[in-house]
Amino acid sequence: MSKIVLKNYADWQQDDTNTTFCPKLAILREKGRQAFLSQGLPTPKTEAWKYTKLRNLSDEEFVVESDDKNSFHCHDEKCHCHDEHETGSHEHCCCHENCLPFEVYEVNFCNGKLKADHFHTTQGLSIVSLTDAFENGDVFKYLNKSFDINNFPFAALNSAYLEQGVMIAVDKNFNDDKPILLNFHSHGDIKRLSNVYNVIVAESGARATILEHYYCSGAEKSVYFNNIVNEFFIGRDAYIRHYKVQQEAFKAFHIALNSVQVKQGGHYESFCLQLGADLSRQETQVVLKEPHAEAEVNAVYKMNGWATLDTTTDIKHISKETVSHQLVKGIIGGKAKGVFQGKIHIAPDAVKTEGYQLHKALLLSDEAEVDVKPELEIFADDVKCSHGAASGELDKEQLFYLQSRGIGEDEAKTLLIKAFTDEVINKISCTAVAEWIKSL
Amino acid sequence: MNRTPVLEIENLCARVHDKEIIKNLNLTIYEGEVHAIMGPNGAGKSTLSYVLCGKEGYEVTGGSVKLYGKDLLKMSVEERAREGLFLIMQYPVEIPGVPTTSFLKYAVNDIRKHRGEPELDTMEFIKMLREEGKKLGIDNEMLKRPVNVGFSGGEKKRMETLQMAILKPNMAILDEADSGLDIDAMKVVAQGVNSLRDGKRAMLVITHYKRLLEYIVPDVVHVFANGHIVKSGSKDLAEELENTGYAEFVKDIA
Repeated sequence: MSKIVLKNYADWQQDDTNTTFCPKLAILREKGRQAFLSQGLPTPKTEAWKYTKLRNLSDEEFVVESDDKNSFHCHDEKCHCHDEHETGSHEHCCCHENCLPFEVYEVNFCNGKLKADHFHTTQGLSIVSLTDAFENGDVFKYLNKSFDINNFPFAALNSAYLEQGVMIAVDKNFNDDKPILLNFHSHGDIKRLSNVYNVIVAESGARATILEHYYCSGAEKSVYFNNIVNEFFIGRDAYIRHYKVQQEAFKAFHIALNSVQVKQGGHYESFCLQLGADLSRQETQVVLKEPHAEAEVNAVYKMNGWATLDTTTDIKHISKETVSHQLVKGIIGGKAKGVFQGKIHIAPDAVKTEGYQLHKALLLSDEAEVDVKPELEIFADDVKCSHGAASGELDKEQLFYLQSRGIGEDEAKTLLIKAFTDEVINKISCTAVAEWIKSL
Repeated sequence: MNRTPVLEIENLCARVHDKEIIKNLNLTIYEGEVHAIMGPNGAGKSTLSYVLCGKEGYEVTGGSVKLYGKDLLKMSVEERAREGLFLIMQYPVEIPGVPTTSFLKYAVNDIRKHRGEPELDTMEFIKMLREEGKKLGIDNEMLKRPVNVGFSGGEKKRMETLQMAILKPNMAILDEADSGLDIDAMKVVAQGVNSLRDGKRAMLVITHYKRLLEYIVPDVVHVFANGHIVKSGSKDLAEELENTGYAEFVKDIA
């Protein structure tokens, strides 16, 4: 266990946590540490972080726990992730406060620590802890391979502590609508920095649904920092659905990088709902490497208070005949701030490519703010691209119409907000997940 | 004969963006009566309907309006509706993403709650909605669509009439209910409206052609110009206006 204050990173010369049996892992950690040190913390001058200030994140003293088998046992009475669940024999969500109305393959993280070594799987699906994956060695083909760690300071920080996470591999024998749930339960008891790194590999023709759920069972004002990296490698004609619901405690920090590579005919369908945290950033980088690779990157964020919720995307069309769709909607109240930075890059050879992007924000108060930075970098001819951004209040004519039929103002607003967000949620092709998300 | 007034408007003055539109308007409508307000374009007929419904931006600067003796002007938009005021709008707004059925269920149950009646469960509501819809030629497919989205002019007005049928107002205002309708569509709407004339429910029909009044026959016709009523008479006044036009009324005032 060690303590770090991110703003003092310059003093962070010696890392005593980097004690591992595995030389390859030690190298990755050291690379991560170096990449973090050389980048430093983002400032308002850092282009990729222009609108999102770190605020308290850099000042807090966070505890970083390193692997300790004893800590696998969860002491929170509210958390039901005990015993039999550790063997993975139960498929239902085990945390009673957050029961999901559908069946899942379950992977539990408690305070950023993986809760089991063995998982219930089936033919074509393999889930192993990173620890086991390090021993096996295959995972090193993938770690840090889909993005440049020197451009992502928090992913670099994550790599410096690389330890927690899973490697999920699916092949064409796996074709199950039942989501693989990555359940991230925080107790919020101490100011903890949790670094979790997951690798998802979909072999040719595989189909799988990954659902991430982040929530806190502790005090509303709990301060902790979940720093997440997910790398997706989507093979030929594979179809991966990636859904995420972020309901962190409202003083917590949440920064996630999703880095995705899609091969020929592969499809990455994603949706992210951000509802919690004081500072939350959902960053998605997709590389469409081969023809007919497709990506859908959709998101909804809703917040009040003083929160900042950031959605950043970077879709790289490297190959011809690739397609991407982005629809992101935000609902911002109080003094909160929404940030959307969306980039579509089309390489010189990527002809007959389609890239669409739309961001819409509803501002519910005078002090709510939204900053939008769409970027199109088009180096090829014969492409179809569009981007758009709109922000405004609820439509007064629609509100009047509903109220004139006897519907109360608050209820009318709720109906209109739901209609606004449902347009995005309806793009989720997994009906059970879509229905659940609508109920949140 | 003791008649009960439903709507009592006294010396009403109202403005939109600093422009006085309604000037000293007086009008009383009793139970069971259908009044028509006719007038030239731009006279402020639609303004009157929005003022009565309490729309934002329509500011009352004087006078009073009572609905069954209650001060209407003090109520919020939804309270007016719950007290029994209903407006068939000239241009019903489209609301993508809000299914017609769930919108109407909220509306019906909010009004029932206000009246102290038990709320309808989904089954009861759907049954009632389908029965009333059938009378107006509104099929289930239309009810599944988002509010007014992709509806033709006629479908929108039929949907407005359906809402009136299920919300059961005691004072209904029809603002240019025939605009954009062909003769067949107008007949359907008029039939729907007439079937809701029950000797108690009061109606105010705003129109600038007498065409609609051949199908919804009013008890009283008012001529509205320059912000108030300049002449009132029987249904024959509508006929007269059709021949003479509004010029004389506008001129008189000027």
